[in-house]
Amino acid sequence: MPFVLSLAFMLFNLLFNQAAQAVPSFARQTGQSCVACHAGGQYPELTSYGRLFKLTGYTIGERSNPLAAMVVASQTTTQNNNDSSGQALSKTDGLPILASGSLFVAGKITDNVGGFAQFTYTPYDTAAANGTTNGHFSSDNFDLRYADRKVDDRSDLIWGVSLHNNPTVQDVWNSTPAWGYPYLSPGGLPNSPQIEGSLAQHVAGVGAYVYWNKSIYAELATYQTAKGPWGFLSMGNQTGNADHPLTHLNGNALYWRLAYTKEWDAHNIMVGAFGMDTKLFPLDSAAFTPITDTGSTRYQDVGFDAQYQYLLAPHTVTAQLRVVQENITDETGLAYAGPATLNSNKAKASYVYRATYGTSLAYTSVAGSADATAYTTSALNSPDSEMWTEELFWMPKQDLRVGVQFNHFTKYLGTDTNYDGAGRNASDNDTTYMYLWAAF
Amino acid sequence: MKTIRSNSRLSWIALSIFVLTACSSIDGSRSVNNPGMSGRTLAMQVCSACHGVTGDSTSPNFPKLNGQQKDYLIAQLDDFKGHVRSDAKAQEHMWGFTRLTTAQISEIADYFSGQAPMRGKSISSPALARGETIYRSGLPDMGVVQCSSCHGPSGEGNGTFPRLAGQHANYLVQQIEVFQQTEQRPRGGPMKVVTHGLKEADTEAVAQYLESMGSPSNAGIH
Repeated sequence: MPFVLSLAFMLFNLLFNQAAQAVPSFARQTGQSCVACHAGGQYPELTSYGRLFKLTGYTIGERSNPLAAMVVASQTTTQNNNDSSGQALSKTDGLPILASGSLFVAGKITDNVGGFAQFTYTPYDTAAANGTTNGHFSSDNFDLRYADRKVDDRSDLIWGVSLHNNPTVQDVWNSTPAWGYPYLSPGGLPNSPQIEGSLAQHVAGVGAYVYWNKSIYAELATYQTAKGPWGFLSMGNQTGNADHPLTHLNGNALYWRLAYTKEWDAHNIMVGAFGMDTKLFPLDSAAFTPITDTGSTRYQDVGFDAQYQYLLAPHTVTAQLRVVQENITDETGLAYAGPATLNSNKAKASYVYRATYGTSLAYTSVAGSADATAYTTSALNSPDSEMWTEELFWMPKQDLRVGVQFNHFTKYLGTDTNYDGAGRNASDNDTTYMYLWAAF
Repeated sequence: MKTIRSNSRLSWIALSIFVLTACSSIDGSRSVNNPGMSGRTLAMQVCSACHGVTGDSTSPNFPKLNGQQKDYLIAQLDDFKGHVRSDAKAQEHMWGFTRLTTAQISEIADYFSGQAPMRGKSISSPALARGETIYRSGLPDMGVVQCSSCHGPSGEGNGTFPRLAGQHANYLVQQIEVFQQTEQRPRGGPMKVVTHGLKEADTEAVAQYLESMGSPSNAGIH
């Protein structure tokens, strides 16, 4: 056994500690520190250089060991962890747990092709019948891209194509959902528009983009259900799986993105818009398979976003803003009782000092039409919810972050008190979340 | 059948991504360990991400390189390559360039030194006069030697003494502090001696003066 452990330790070191700095594979590839690509070191927020690194297909640097790993340990304490009958809602509440572990395969493949693939294991995923908890291994964010850059002293054109599994995971600004705040969380609002994560690791998408003169960004992408040869992109979500059923799209979902960017001195801004038109088949609540003979539910999302960054050592100031408006029409009658809207808002600001000490403040809300079919856990049949998040974090090393996050719910499913008709208040869902986030 | 057609279409699109790899050319490479790449390509595809295509960087996090002295650029690239220059910014951004060849370093230096020199920024500050005094006359009482004796009357630099005129003030302040407080830039040994007595406000003043140097609106200040 000691031999096996020693061998495992040697293998771990061989795989993850080849460079002087024990950081993930992109840092090995470029020989640069995390702060080169991540604003104030607060991964995953990207600097201007980090955005160019991604847009040019992760190809700056030299091909190296593409493996990296990440672990998150956390403790979530909920204001009221008991339901109306006194039963615990979460068995791990108040306990320190190893929340997740991820393996990355990420880096340059050729002069024009590079990728980022993450696979994640969650030890405490779902409750098992014997009172324990089932773990879950799944595909996480994936982005494989080809990119080229034609540049001279008059113009600068970056263009590329991307294969990925989460709408906006290919985006380089942290105001869009996939890489938006919070970067770690014990859970947020109960509802959100489709583009805000519902399709992550359920779809396979191909998009083409251009970025001209570090000024105008434009992108078009199309998505389909990640199944068949694309099943590896949705690994962990399966048709018929009660805990993680695969979402099935009816045909293609089109995504578009426009953004304008500008840099001056140590400042940079982005203002943009994006949208997606998705049709989903309803799910059979017993078999967890798609129902394809009753039509589908259509979600038309349009978002507006903006980002500001001030990056000049020792100070890092970043802010992101996002508004998404969703129109829903349901020809199945199974998901919604009638035409509906669901709009979300997100605003967040951060300050980091010496890439070591940081704080963030965020506001998140959703509001939409009441619907007796869609929001059955709300006494008011309402999705309206809002929360504030304050966070303090410390990065003693560039690949280690320790933080505490306070989540305050001021409205939940339509009201602040007795939202479920059983006496539960919005503030009962408040959480104090402590975490340790390490990358190797 | 529709789904099968859709998946097939997606497969073809994805396959085409990889067919595109056959179109790649070394002129578009962003590798930093390929001795076959020209320094010009490295400058335009890699260095430009932070320093700008002509070296006229926007962010003061990154020094302007346009019109910089070639010998100075070569010396710095050599020091980054050998991890001899070890200030924080150098380690964070430049220590990955360990595989550059002598020819590539020379070509990169040629590329940036051959660009139109960095332009002075219009600055209105009462500190400019003090900065000019320090630059041209030094502060003899404090052991600060006039900068112009090595960096030239117009801040144009000379050989391994860098051009300073038009450089980001914030970058200059940071580097003066590195010279004053550390041994992280061994080639800057003389700078440690001549800036030893420079106070924080004077460092700021001379940096602002240098950033403004050459600006038409600061033409009254020489």
